[in-house]
Amino acid sequence: MAIVSVHQFAQCVTCHAWSPEHSMIAFCPNNNEVHIYKLLEGKWEKMHVLHKHDQIVSGIDWGRSSNRIVTVSHDRNSYVWSQEGIEWVPTLVILRLNRAALCVQWSTKENKFAVGSGAKTVCVCYYEQENNWWVSKVIRKRHDSSVTSVAWHPDNQIMQLDLSFSWSFAMKWSPSGSTLAYVGHNSMIYFADEIGPSPSAQSVSFRDLPLRDILFVSERLVIGAGFDCNPMVFVADDIGLWSFLRFLEDKKATPSTKVNSQLSGTFGKFYSQSKSNDANEASRTRPAHENCITSIVPLKKAGDTTISKFSTSGLDGKVIVWDLRQHPDLLQYL
Amino acid sequence: MADFVEAENAEAIFTRIEHKSRKIESLLKQHKPVEALKTALEGSPPRTEDERCKSANWIVVHRAIMAIKDVDSLMSSLDSEYYDVLMKYLYRGLSTGDRPTCDQCLRIHEKLTERAGLGCILRTLADKVNTV
Repeated sequence: MAIVSVHQFAQCVTCHAWSPEHSMIAFCPNNNEVHIYKLLEGKWEKMHVLHKHDQIVSGIDWGRSSNRIVTVSHDRNSYVWSQEGIEWVPTLVILRLNRAALCVQWSTKENKFAVGSGAKTVCVCYYEQENNWWVSKVIRKRHDSSVTSVAWHPDNQIMQLDLSFSWSFAMKWSPSGSTLAYVGHNSMIYFADEIGPSPSAQSVSFRDLPLRDILFVSERLVIGAGFDCNPMVFVADDIGLWSFLRFLEDKKATPSTKVNSQLSGTFGKFYSQSKSNDANEASRTRPAHENCITSIVPLKKAGDTTISKFSTSGLDGKVIVWDLRQHPDLLQYL
Repeated sequence: MADFVEAENAEAIFTRIEHKSRKIESLLKQHKPVEALKTALEGSPPRTEDERCKSANWIVVHRAIMAIKDVDSLMSSLDSEYYDVLMKYLYRGLSTGDRPTCDQCLRIHEKLTERAGLGCILRTLADKVNTV
């Protein structure tokens, strides 16, 4: 089993982030707060509630080396939180947005962070020492629609990519920064290699429901999570061709039976023949997440060269930690 | 992925569709409905924003869809590259509201979804560029 732990933190988790040592987790329980829980003697205890935003907190990132938390919200603001003693002290960052902030990420060096917004813009914020505040600069080039995802290239530079032709989420760079991947609401995942003068692109269509977030575990392994509530594994072969390998969680049923039992409920009313799919339902194992997975976060300690553990959170309010080392067939891709 | 560009002018497209239509009629006379549908789906949808071309192509595809008797044999011989475009035409058929068309499209929809998965339906809904 790939699952290390499952915890029900709330009715619904909007986004989450881990502390540098993975002993604490910060998440938004679908309201205007950020809750920080700490694992004490095998039990998760609520340690802090960060209460500054007026609307839902849409993005949280916890700096691995700086230990600073950055949060963004639909209230168009951002706060950088620093731990002083037992308190988390917020610093307001005025983003100068007129629409909701949707996503945030610390840069690789954690000296800057990028925010994507519903105002079709991305702003980059950095700390100005002499004035002791965070300055926000809006990147001039506008997108054609809301920016749902931002990703820093490993060398601490941000690149502007125009994906407005598609309804897309979750843009991520591979560890080396040579490949970019993102997903669309059309049940496809796109890979672009060697971004620059002559990029090469691949698109992989898959059978199942769309993905909401992805993670590059290594140069050749991507985990995607979304509406199927079960993480999907995509791998690249020796010549760099990506394809869907399998779902991460073990399923007893074969792919075709799975679709049959999904259909019996949804389409049963429309198809004239009455199929009795009770036998199929019983043999199909239910995935651990009970609703759409919206976020996938790596559990990587500073100094780790590879990622073998990651966590997912979703609309079911659960945070699940997964360990890929329990899957021998994936080890060759790590 | 780039901005949509008109590939051919309307006249050329109409000519191509007419040519396809004659080929389909001939295949249907030879009792080869699966071949006929494959022919109809080739080059579909026409790369244009001209609705008249799209409608003309739909008429041809519709003819082939209605001639299918054995859906299982259609599924086993249709290449997966045609799944997404067939699904789009099935939804166009369902949107007509015409009883025989809807019955037929629904019959094929069930088997196609089994084969191609829900992702195929998602791509039909999400694709704003290659519409039928």
